[in-house]
Amino acid sequence: MRIEHYEIMRSRMSRRGMLKGAASVGAVTALGGLGAGLTARPAMAQDSALRAEILKIPGVGMGSPTDADWQKVGDLCLGPTKETVAEGEFEGVELTFMGLNNQNVHNFLFRGFLKPWEKYTGAKINWIDLAQADYNARLQQSIATGTVDFDIIEMGAPFEGDVLGKGLASEMPDWVKDLIDMDDYVGYLQAPVGTWDGKTYRVSIDGDCHSFAYRTDYFGEGSLTGKDVPATWQEVDAVTKELIGQKDPLTGLDAHGYLDPLKGWGGFGFYFVANRAAPYVKVEGDPVWLFDPETMTPLVNTPGWVQAFQDVFDLIEANAYPADQINADPGTTAFQQFLAGTGSMLMWWGDVGASARTSDTSVVGDVTGFSINPASDKRYDLASGAWVDGVNEAPQMAYIGWGVYVMARVDGDEKKHKAAWSAAAHLGGRDIALWMSAYPSGFQPYRNSQFQYDEWEQAGYDRAFIEDYLGSNIDSYNHPNAAIEPRIPGIFQYYSVAEDELAKGYAGQYGSAQETADAIAAAWEKITDQIGRDSQIALYKASLGM
Amino acid sequence: MEPEGDRLHVVTTENISDARRNFGNILVYGSAAIMFLVAGLQSLDSNNILDIGFVTWRPTLYAALVWMVCLSAGQVIVRGEQGKRTLFILPAALFVGAMVVFPLIFALGIAFSDWNLSSPNGRQFNGFDNVRQMWNDPFYWNSLTNMVWYTLAIFVEYIIAFGIAVLLNAEIRARKFFRVSFLLPLMLSPVAVSWMIGKSMLEVRFGPIARLARELGWDSPSFFGSPEIARASIMMMDAWTFIPFMMIMILAGLQAIPTELREAARVDGAGPWRAFWEVTFPLMLPVSITAVLIRIIFKLKLADIIINVTSGGPGGATDSVTSFIFREYRDRSNVGYGTLLAIFYLVLIVIAMTILMKLADRWMRPRY
Repeated sequence: MRIEHYEIMRSRMSRRGMLKGAASVGAVTALGGLGAGLTARPAMAQDSALRAEILKIPGVGMGSPTDADWQKVGDLCLGPTKETVAEGEFEGVELTFMGLNNQNVHNFLFRGFLKPWEKYTGAKINWIDLAQADYNARLQQSIATGTVDFDIIEMGAPFEGDVLGKGLASEMPDWVKDLIDMDDYVGYLQAPVGTWDGKTYRVSIDGDCHSFAYRTDYFGEGSLTGKDVPATWQEVDAVTKELIGQKDPLTGLDAHGYLDPLKGWGGFGFYFVANRAAPYVKVEGDPVWLFDPETMTPLVNTPGWVQAFQDVFDLIEANAYPADQINADPGTTAFQQFLAGTGSMLMWWGDVGASARTSDTSVVGDVTGFSINPASDKRYDLASGAWVDGVNEAPQMAYIGWGVYVMARVDGDEKKHKAAWSAAAHLGGRDIALWMSAYPSGFQPYRNSQFQYDEWEQAGYDRAFIEDYLGSNIDSYNHPNAAIEPRIPGIFQYYSVAEDELAKGYAGQYGSAQETADAIAAAWEKITDQIGRDSQIALYKASLGM
Repeated sequence: MEPEGDRLHVVTTENISDARRNFGNILVYGSAAIMFLVAGLQSLDSNNILDIGFVTWRPTLYAALVWMVCLSAGQVIVRGEQGKRTLFILPAALFVGAMVVFPLIFALGIAFSDWNLSSPNGRQFNGFDNVRQMWNDPFYWNSLTNMVWYTLAIFVEYIIAFGIAVLLNAEIRARKFFRVSFLLPLMLSPVAVSWMIGKSMLEVRFGPIARLARELGWDSPSFFGSPEIARASIMMMDAWTFIPFMMIMILAGLQAIPTELREAARVDGAGPWRAFWEVTFPLMLPVSITAVLIRIIFKLKLADIIINVTSGGPGGATDSVTSFIFREYRDRSNVGYGTLLAIFYLVLIVIAMTILMKLADRWMRPRY
């Protein structure tokens, strides 16, 4: 669970609730199997007991977990390791693990989880801790200069093109697939994500998607607009324009509709305009929405994308955004605007919902609701070159989520290879995943078994809130038309240059949305040529599983 | 033994035997030969012409270090006491060569290469392609134009700094307190300034400056919405940080002016303005020009505030060369092109600063 989410849960826990929860866990343990979910593998009493037991470490509402707690969880979840590795089997093996040190979770957590594993197997792990901002540069430099000095890496799926595409990762052995129960992954994390040329590489530990957050005092009966929550981007834009000149019910300042971030954010800002474009261009059954996989020709200047840009241009023209929106990056729209009571609609990762209720500067805690990415009432069909009427939903799995990967450099040493994969499998296990989603870990749920609300309730969580929090994720994750970004080398270079061109477009330096889109397409073509068109085509196809 | 050299530093000649001299020469040339041999072998190995099995370039580095030590020792062995004189400067010169000149030459090699870190082909020499790309890159020329505006703003900053320095040099109450207070912004990191002022105080809704602007009748204050205002806002934040720097230099200059001069001017009947313009200002020219030149060098590196507050926007209006290179290099891993942009900027700066210093040399002489 992201730290912010945990804080909110904790703040909602009463002592009584916690005791009730603990009692329930005890009851579940005694009964056995009751907590097992619908989609989980056949529940066994032993499994259920274990899950209930780890959820008690340290106990919901009992403060933040410590290294001792992580070690306890790691120890309790060693079962699968013991099934596949003999005690002391990896004696003398040294592995290097590169990951993040964000918010004192990520690597800190992995260290604790892996200590019992090290003790049991005899292997030793050395750690490379990186700040988020240094991560990309460190990884790219290691790859470009041929100095990969780590055996296991925590990595986001968008970088798979850079790593898997260059053959730098080790293919997952079948015994690991069995151990981590990959069928339990939510829909979008199933292949081809994590795979390359049909081979599997990724042990998922996280999920990511953008959800739609809205103000309940703006929508619904008796609200400011009196309208239903917008379900399409057309409705979002229409109501955004209608709100011009009205006053916000909470703050008394100007009311605003949807908050588009109009400033770049190191490439991450492009996800936000892509939320608008996805329902215009993405069609169920076809994973393609950003590039033509046969030629790598950008689709970003096709009518669907141009319409998405035009929608933003229209809102700028209508003066529908707050002042200085041109200087608002996604962080600003979420944390300085939406949470502070400016604007009524926003797309973001899960953090916003949690922060709404826990952040000191948030004033929208009790008036925030969630949904999936708005749909579109029309879609541009690339095949026929015409607009097609009909509602099209396409939630975007922005950034896809973190995973653990083993590097190919262990492949030459059988013992080391098995050790590295065993460590990765331990971190990506089904039960440890439950604990990671229930306590601060920096990760969102990514398995269907993590969405069993009964387990959460029995552990002491507030049912209504947990359904609200998790429900907005699961609907996006398992959507049949989920828009997943291309996992090709340099994908953030494309996003970054698009941000620069969009900034010019938003500032009125291009004549039209089409001209802006053409400039982005031209810049993307240049990047493709520079990285190598043929290799990009091959890698893009491989990432799509074509 | 005949003493030689000047009388203040007498160095005796030594009888250095041929054998010693030969040993010294062998040491220097031998180590150089080894260095070139190792570097050559490594080059052949890295170009896959020979397969020696070098993993890193460390052998060449170690050979270079050995050569540097031998070269230094060789000076003393071959030239005795005279060689010791050389040792005062040689290690520093070698250090500068290794840490500045060599990387610069290496950077030139990268600047004329197509090197995108995501490309599977690695670094490829591409001649003048990067120069051509730069020539046609509207983002780069836009940022260079912005730099001209940013640099011109220094003259306004100078006038303000001079004014504050004159005030702080006067006999005012709590002078020391004000001197320290005015210096405080300089002690802040520009990153802190970006967040404290750019992101907080100038925040359009809650920021105290925005609130004040609303109180004063500006309905919808916006400090980064239009290109001109955004550029001015960045200039002001940067100025706020660095005016104290110019001020402290000018203040030091003012305090160095002998009071007799001003008293003499007063006795001669000069009013305050005349005394300032005819006496103080000309005497302050050398200090002023030094302060402005150093400030220009600081200004040309302007990036942190822009990266944090506007990312170069709106539409590139506040982009500086450094902030653009930062995006090209960090966000887009375009190492070759990014390096060329930086090298070209360096050349521009060197030319501009040389011209400025020549001119300054002329201006710096007081008018009497």
